[in-house]
Order: sequence, then C-alpha cells, then structure tokens
Amino acid sequence: MVSRFDQQKTKHQLFHVSISLATILICMTYMQYRRNWAHLGSFWDSLIVPIVFFGELLKVILARFFGRIEDGVLTVKQRQKKAAYFTPRELLGGLTLQFLCTLLYAFICIILGAPVLANYEQTFVLSLLMTLLTVSPTVFLLGGGGALQVCFCEKPDFITKCEDTALHLFKYNALGGILGAWAGSVVAPLDWGRDWQVYPIPNVIGALLGSALGNIYACTHVLYMCGRVYMSKKRS
Amino acid sequence: MAMEEHKSRLVYTFYMLTLFLCGAVLFLIGFFPASYSVAEQESSVPIDRPTTLHGEKLEPPPSSYNSFILLLIDALRNDFPSESTMPVSHERACLKLSLHVDIPTVTMPRLKSITTGTLSNFIDIALNVGHTEQVEDSLLHRLKQRDAVVSFAGDHTWVHLFPSEFTRKAENNDSFYVNDFYEGDKNVTRTLELELEKEDWKLLILHYLGLDHIGHVEGHASPKINHKLKEMDDAVKKILDHKNMENYLLLLTGDHGMADGGGHGGNTPAETSVPLYLYSKNCSKYAGSTKRYNQIDLTPTLALLLSVEIPTMSIGCLIPEMLQTLTLEQQMYAYFYNAHHLLNKARVKFGHESVRRSDYFGWYQNATLLHKNLLEPLRLGDGSSASKVHYENAKLNYLRVAREISEQLSESLVKFDYGLIAVGLALATATSLHIVLNILFLDVATEQLGLDILKLGQLLLSLVIGIMLNVVGHMLDQLMTSSMLQSLLLLFPIVASVYLSIDVAQALIKIALPPLYARRLKLSIPLPLPLLLCYAIRTFTLGSSSFIEFEYKTWYYLGNTLILLVALKTLRRRITKANVELDGRHLHKIASACLWQQRKIFVVLILLTLMRYLHRLSSIKSTLMLFSLLLFWARLRKFTDTPQAIFNGIAFMLVYSFRGLNGQVQFFVLPDQLASRYVLALLVLFWCCLALVFVLGYRTALPQQQSGQSLLDGPPKSNLLKLLQTNLTCSLILTALLYKVQNIVLLPTLLITLDETYKLCEAYGTTVRKFSVRLVHVYKIIMTIFVARMFYFYQGNSNSLSTIDLTPGYIGQTSYNPVIVGFFVTLNTYSAEIHSFLYLIVHTLRADLRSVGIIQSLPSYAKAADSIVAPLYAALVMLPAAFYLCLMVGFRYHLFIYSVFSPKVLYDCYTVLVFYLVFLSTSLYFKLFKRDA
Repeated sequence: MVSRFDQQKTKHQLFHVSISLATILICMTYMQYRRNWAHLGSFWDSLIVPIVFFGELLKVILARFFGRIEDGVLTVKQRQKKAAYFTPRELLGGLTLQFLCTLLYAFICIILGAPVLANYEQTFVLSLLMTLLTVSPTVFLLGGGGALQVCFCEKPDFITKCEDTALHLFKYNALGGILGAWAGSVVAPLDWGRDWQVYPIPNVIGALLGSALGNIYACTHVLYMCGRVYMSKKRS
Repeated sequence: MAMEEHKSRLVYTFYMLTLFLCGAVLFLIGFFPASYSVAEQESSVPIDRPTTLHGEKLEPPPSSYNSFILLLIDALRNDFPSESTMPVSHERACLKLSLHVDIPTVTMPRLKSITTGTLSNFIDIALNVGHTEQVEDSLLHRLKQRDAVVSFAGDHTWVHLFPSEFTRKAENNDSFYVNDFYEGDKNVTRTLELELEKEDWKLLILHYLGLDHIGHVEGHASPKINHKLKEMDDAVKKILDHKNMENYLLLLTGDHGMADGGGHGGNTPAETSVPLYLYSKNCSKYAGSTKRYNQIDLTPTLALLLSVEIPTMSIGCLIPEMLQTLTLEQQMYAYFYNAHHLLNKARVKFGHESVRRSDYFGWYQNATLLHKNLLEPLRLGDGSSASKVHYENAKLNYLRVAREISEQLSESLVKFDYGLIAVGLALATATSLHIVLNILFLDVATEQLGLDILKLGQLLLSLVIGIMLNVVGHMLDQLMTSSMLQSLLLLFPIVASVYLSIDVAQALIKIALPPLYARRLKLSIPLPLPLLLCYAIRTFTLGSSSFIEFEYKTWYYLGNTLILLVALKTLRRRITKANVELDGRHLHKIASACLWQQRKIFVVLILLTLMRYLHRLSSIKSTLMLFSLLLFWARLRKFTDTPQAIFNGIAFMLVYSFRGLNGQVQFFVLPDQLASRYVLALLVLFWCCLALVFVLGYRTALPQQQSGQSLLDGPPKSNLLKLLQTNLTCSLILTALLYKVQNIVLLPTLLITLDETYKLCEAYGTTVRKFSVRLVHVYKIIMTIFVARMFYFYQGNSNSLSTIDLTPGYIGQTSYNPVIVGFFVTLNTYSAEIHSFLYLIVHTLRADLRSVGIIQSLPSYAKAADSIVAPLYAALVMLPAAFYLCLMVGFRYHLFIYSVFSPKVLYDCYTVLVFYLVFLSTSLYFKLFKRDA
C-alpha cells in the first residue's frame, strides 16, 4: 500500500495519532499540576476520564470530517448504516454495550486482585477509563451494533475506508491501554512504600502510558511507510 | 505430524531429576558450609584471661553472684511479658532489655549462640530437627573445667549439644512433640523446686517449651498463651521468693520470638526480638533501658560475671548495664578483656598487619594507656573528676573497639565453598537445559540432536576432562575435600556435568547452525506467547526480594490472567465462528449464548478470587467444613465406585467428628477424658476406612482368575488408570484429615478448577486454526503448574520458614517420629502441587477428546502421559529452580541473602524433591502396569 504525506489517509492517520498523544500529554500536564496523585482514583475529583473522553470524541469527529469526502462513493449498506446512526435504538445499544464493558472490566479488575469489598469507586474509575480507551471510540464511530460486528466478524462490509483507517488506529490504542494497565500492577508488591503505589494509580498511569506507546508505535509505522515511499520515489 | 514420537521418557526424566537433585544438594552444601568455624585455626586465639597490662598486674574479678539461673522460655517474644500477663516478673525485674536474635530463629542455633557467642550458620535450621553436632567450646565447658555444678532441666536439644557438660540433667523425653503443652513444663518446674533446695549449683538452666508448642498449634493469639505466661510467672515468683536464694542472678529470656501465625524461623521483628529481664536481690532499679543488644552479647557478659574465660568463638560485645554490680576496676577489666579477646580474634582472622593499620587498633591503644593510668587511682578509691573522665573515656574506647570488631567478624563469618558451588551449579544448570532442549525438540531429539542416547566416546572424553578438572581443582585449592573418598565421589557429578554440557553445547550449535541450511530444526512443542510470557515473568521476578516475599501476588495475578485470557479468547473465537454461519444477524443472542456456555469458568474465576479471603471465614468454619466435605465427596465420586464411595463418606464423617472432638468445629460437647479416648478410636476407624478404599480400588484394578469373564465384558480398561486413581483418591482423603478446618474447601475447589481449566484448554485447542494435540497438552501443563502454585499459597504457605504448619504432623501421634511427622507435614504443605500433578496424569490417561469433537486423536492423546506430560512438567519445575540457584550466586553478598533468598532456595529445592518423589512413585506404576497402552 502506498502512502504519501499529502494523501488523505496519511493525513488522517497523523492527525489521529497527534490527537491521542495530545490527550495523553494533557493528562500528564494535569497530573503534574495536581502534584498529589491520590485523587486519580476518585470519580468526581479527577479530570482524567473527561479529558480522555473528549480526546476520543475528537478522534471520532476527525474520522467523520475525513469521511465526508467519501460520501459520494458509499454503497447502499454503508448509507443505511450512516442514516441509522442517530436513531434511539443505536444510541441505546451503544450505551448498553459500554455499560456492559465497564462491568466486564470491573469484573476483570476484581479477578486480578482489586479489593472485593472496598475501593468500588476506584475500580469503577479504572474500568471506565479502560472502556474509554478500548470500546468507546468504536462505539462512537459505528454505534453499538456496528462495534459488536467489528469485534466478532472478519470484516463487515458496511465499513467505509476512512472508518477502517480509524479502527486500525483504535486497535493500537486499545491494545496499548490494556497491556499498560495490566503491566502497571508490577509495582504493587514492591516495598518502596510510595503513595503512588496504591491500587488504581499505577494501573491508570500504566493505561495512559501504554496507549501513548501504542500510538507512538502506530505513528512510527505510518512515518516509516511514508519515508519508504519518499525514498523510492527520489531514487527513481 | 506424522513423525510424532510416543516413546516413554520416564527413565530419562528420572535420571535428569536425580542429577538435578544431586547438583542442588552439592550447591546447598557449598553455599551453606555446615560448620565454618572448624576451618579457622581457633587454637591460635589465646584461651587464658590476660593478667598484665603494659607491665601492670591485673586480677580477673571473682564471680559476682553465688548462683545463676538462666530461665529460657521458648518463643517468648518481646510483647508477651507485660504487666497483665506476667505481673510478678514485670514488677520485680531489676533491668529490662531487649535482645536482637539472629536468623535462623529456631531453637538449636539459638542455644549455640547463647552459649558460644557466635552467629550460627543458616543451614542449622535444617539440622534443628534431628541431627545436632556437639559444641566444642562454650560457657558450660569452661564451668566444667572449674568443677562448678551445672544443672539443667527442659528441652533435650541442650543434652544433644552438651552431652557431658551438665552435672545433673532432667531433660524432656520428647521436645518435638508439639501437642504437649503442659506435661514437659511441669517436669521442669518440679526440677526447679528440687534444685532450689540443693544450693550446690553455680548455674541452673531451665528451658520451658510449652509456649512454643501452643504457638505452633494454636497461633500467637490463643487464650492458652496468657495461661502459659501466668504459669511462667509463677515459676519466676517461686525463685524470687525462695528462702535459699541469697546472692543470685536470674535471667529471664527467650531463645527466639514468635511470628504472628505462631510459627518461627523467619525474619520478622516479632521473631527476631526477645526480652531479657534480670533479677537479683536488693538491686537498684535502673530506668528501663531501651537499648537493644544482640543475643551473642550475653555470652561474654555472662562469662565475666561467672568469672570464667570468654569462649574462643565468641564475637559478642559486653552489656554494660549487667556489669553495674562490679567495682569500677573490675568493670574496666571486663571491658579490657573483651576488647582484648576480640582483637586477638581479629588478628587471627585478618592478619596482624591489617589490624595494626585499622582504626580500632588506635582506639584500643588509647584505651589501654588510659586504663593503665587509671589503675592506681581506682585501687586507691580516688573519686576525682579527672579520673572519672578518664574512666568514661577508656570505657567508651573499649566498647567501640569491641563493637567495631564484632561487626567486622560477623560479616566475615560468611564463607562459601566455591568449588562445590561451581560443581553443583554446573550440574543443575546443564541438567535442566538438557531436559528442556530434549523436550522442545522432541521429534528430532534422538536422531538429529542425539540427546537421548548414551554415547560411550563422549562419556570417556568427559571422564578424562572430569579427572583433569578434579585434579586441577584440588591443586589450585578450589575444591576442598577432607578425604580421598570424597574427592573420588566428587568425580561423578563433575563427569556428569561435563557430559551434559557437551550434549547441550552440541545441540545448541546444531539448532543455531543446522546441518542442512534449508531445513531448520523445528520446535516440536508449540510455545504460545502468553504462556511463555507469564512463565518468564514468574521466573525473572525471582530476582527481587519483595517479589519473593509477596510471591503469592505474582501467582494470583498471572494465574488468573492466564485463565481469563484463554477464556476470553475462546469466547471470542466461538462467537466469531457462530457468527460466520449466521452472517452477522442476532449477534447479541449468539454472544450471550456463548457466554452462557462458558459460565463455569467464570464461576471458577470468582471462586479463585474468594479463596484469597479464606482466612476471614473462620466464623462460619463448621458450616464451611460440612459443605466442603460434601462437595469433596461428590467430586471424588467420579473416581470411586459405590462401596468405595460409602467408605469415603464414612471417612469424611470421621474427619468432621475428629475436628469436632478437638473443639475446632461445632459438635457434641463431651468431657475431656472421654473426648481424648474417642479421638484415638476415631482415627483408627479413619485409617481403616482409608485402607478399605485403597484395597477396594486395587482389587478392582487387579482382577485375579476372572480373565474369562472380563473378556466377555469387553476390552479391559486400563489397570494403570484405576491404580493411579485409587492412589489419588486415598491421598486426597488423607489430606482432608491433615488440612486445617477452613482449608478443606480448597480441596474440592482445586479439583473443580483443574477440571474446568482442562475443559477450557480443550475448547481453546479446538478453536485454534491449526489444531494440535500438543498445544492442548502444553496449555494444560502450564495451567496446572499455575493453579497448583496458587492453591499452594491460598493454603497459607509463604516463602518464610515460619509459616510451615507443624500441627498436622502430630495428628494421632503420641510421640515425635521424624519420618511420620515429615511425611504428614510435607503432604499437608505441598498437597496442592502433589495432587495437581497426579490429577494431570490421571486426567491425561482418561481424557476423552470426543466430547469436544475430536475423534481421531484419542489414542495418541492418552499416550502422551509419559512421553510429553510428565517430562515437560519436570522440565518446567526444574528450569526456574536452576535459574534461582544461579541468582543465588549473584546475590551472595546481598543484604537479604539469609533472610529472604536463602529460605526460598530451601523451599525451591524441596519442591523439586517432593516432585521427584511423586514422579518416582508414578513412574513405578507406569513401569509395572502399563501393558495395554
């Protein structure tokens, strides 16, 4: 697949990755500003979840923006899908799916060692963040049913090219986030006695850093492809 | 996979395990030399007390008390004696100090430290039970030289250590029988009363064991503890108020502390800190000193008070608070003597030259000069302020010389036998690499890598190299052996490790540079990335002391991650598969149907999470026990036929009544005497039931003279499977008796977890694009290892030696029998690992893949039990252990080497040993009964 800087797809990818990295940078700045990280696990006091939410929303708007150009060449199925985006059925389905996902993440947190009878708020915040990093962008982009299909089908035929690009990048984000949050627990047994070793903090930060790494990887990949095309063009 | 091999590799694995254990034992001997003090030339330290100082004559002080009593209460930790628990002892103590105890915190090494003043070797912890060598020189030896009368009563470890040093001794018959709370202590108190009348002794040693036994059986919070402390308080009162006691010194202390669970042997503050209370007639009470001294400081101080020589091995300092009754001149002498003694030891250890160049030598010179100048005024009784200042100055200098040398000497006591370490490490590493390579390249191992066969030429070559290495090692003093026989014996591991290393090196070269470049050697065993990653994390986290201390967290996290990951992957693949057929419609219905299909594994995950909170369930333990026994019986019903199941049920009822009679669960209340009589009968009945289950199982497995009939019934089922099932069942029933009440629920949960995990692995295997039986095997094996380890920690085990539960060893025992106690304790501690392995083998033999839709692979599936499953399991057990041995060498000067890393290495080696024994018995059955496979 050829990719050049001036191609629509490459532009989309680079903008997308920039938004992701900017979101995480804003989170980091915010954390630096607050100094004390103890509030990271609380729902009302921490701004991490809203920041990430707006970041993901921006990415979806970006995908819509780049998708406008394709509007003329859509298939019937794609058109139908698009028309059904704002129907109450789809909205409800999307919300339910995200809610179930949050529950699933909370279950996983507890299975992997979060306290069963305490720290509900922290577990909730962590699973909300994980949902935002993994499932929400897809749901925002395609609606509940679409997201399910993407997850469990080889390649559904209602996805436009532009959505495909975005989905590809969401995958890196999600994988990075999951692995980061999982690996964040590594500091739990250490006997350093720091206040940031308390339960949700390493996982929250791990999730953010992990998704940042995922995005950096995706970005490198895109740039590498562009560079290769550029070099081969120059040579010829 | 037409080339899949199904040769039994049990014999090969057996050899590898044996060699690995040999290597591990050699390593341990080298790492913890059993007696390092012997190697030093102790004879060059002068024994006699110094009598001159710069030409001035000195006189050793006479004994300051007529009689000394050392009252040792086993496991008396620092917070036990208090105003409420021991009022008399607390009220009337002249001096209260706190002593720091060195690891290992078990009795025998501690007694050595108190009497000889030297630190003990870590491995003494293993020698604590059973073998004890005699002590060469100690306070008691010195007293005996002076014909002083020394009397003793209590723990018989003392008598093993000092067989002929006591004038009179009244030792307990059985110090390791932990169910004896009161009888032994009563005898000690009786001896105390007799001795108090006699008045001829110089030193009386009383060692009470009851407190330690209560701790082991009932924990540190048992109400019996306070009762016991009261009894001890009465003994102290008896001494203090006795009319014959005129000029005496009573020392009340513990040999080691008690951890919060009630055990000891570890390194927590509760275990390493004990009180020291001193009592004498008309003492002036000093303000409670908060300074902490070491337990070894007691030895030189006591030697001076007893007016005997300081034992040669002593490296302790003095406790100034205990010397207050001496005159100033005598105190000066005491400080001088101990500093002098330590300086002599330092000269022997570090050489004259380096001592002369050291700081402390200057301090010592300074102090002796001041001391000499002080002699005259002190003898004249001059109390001028100038001499006071000089006195304080000299004292301070002496004390800091002693402290400095003491610290340096205790650090330099660590000694490794690098020759043995190298040989052991080489053997262990080579063995584990060999078996891992052999299993990974299973199909080509024999013909292309040549790992299986014994090659004579290579053996001869390694023999030659081995002899050369042995000779060169001896010549360079790297290998030190005391006799010709030992050096010849050492040849065997050297040759074995050379031979295996050549094999491994050759194989590695062939794998890296295959003979035919077109055909790279292919791995015969699939290695899925997540499994590999979890296994690698589990291995590499051994390098951190906090990960070892909290090892259970690693296991819970990784084990649950693995199960969850496999479950979610399977779920997703199932949904995708169903979805393809239905073309994207009704997706949520499919998803919920698939989720419902997998509900059991999620229940198991919830159960695994709940097991973490097992220790909080003690309030409902009666209900829990009944419920879990019922569940367990239902689970075992799968392996048993009806008569067996009946006896099994009776056995479980007996287990419940046994716990009920012991008062651990709700049961009819019976008078004590009656209860203790019933307990014995119950246990006899239990053993009968167990034997019946066993015999019934074997009878059906080994039919005699019924061959005609069984031919009609169809093909005879595998005898091997039935025998192994019977063994597993019996061993599980026995474990139900040994387990703590609230732990019994772990047994059925373990079986359920393993069952569901295996089903999950099969389901996962069928959803993979390219199905391979071996992939299923690999998943099952690694899952078994993780689940076994998780249950091992659920049970309350840890990497500290203090959590070993000794109580099950004494069920139905009336005395200490090392073999039975060892067997029971091992079965209790390692039950999860033993039974998981057995269950895996049984499962592999009886597994029926038809249920998941694979028909053709059935015969080769069961065959894999001895060709893949057992060897791979062994390899996966050995590899981390070998890695850990390597780490130990790297960490030998680590701060936590003896407190964290060393107990873990003992645990690791013991785990391999237990696995070895289980493996050995299983493979014997394979050898004897595997005909129809």
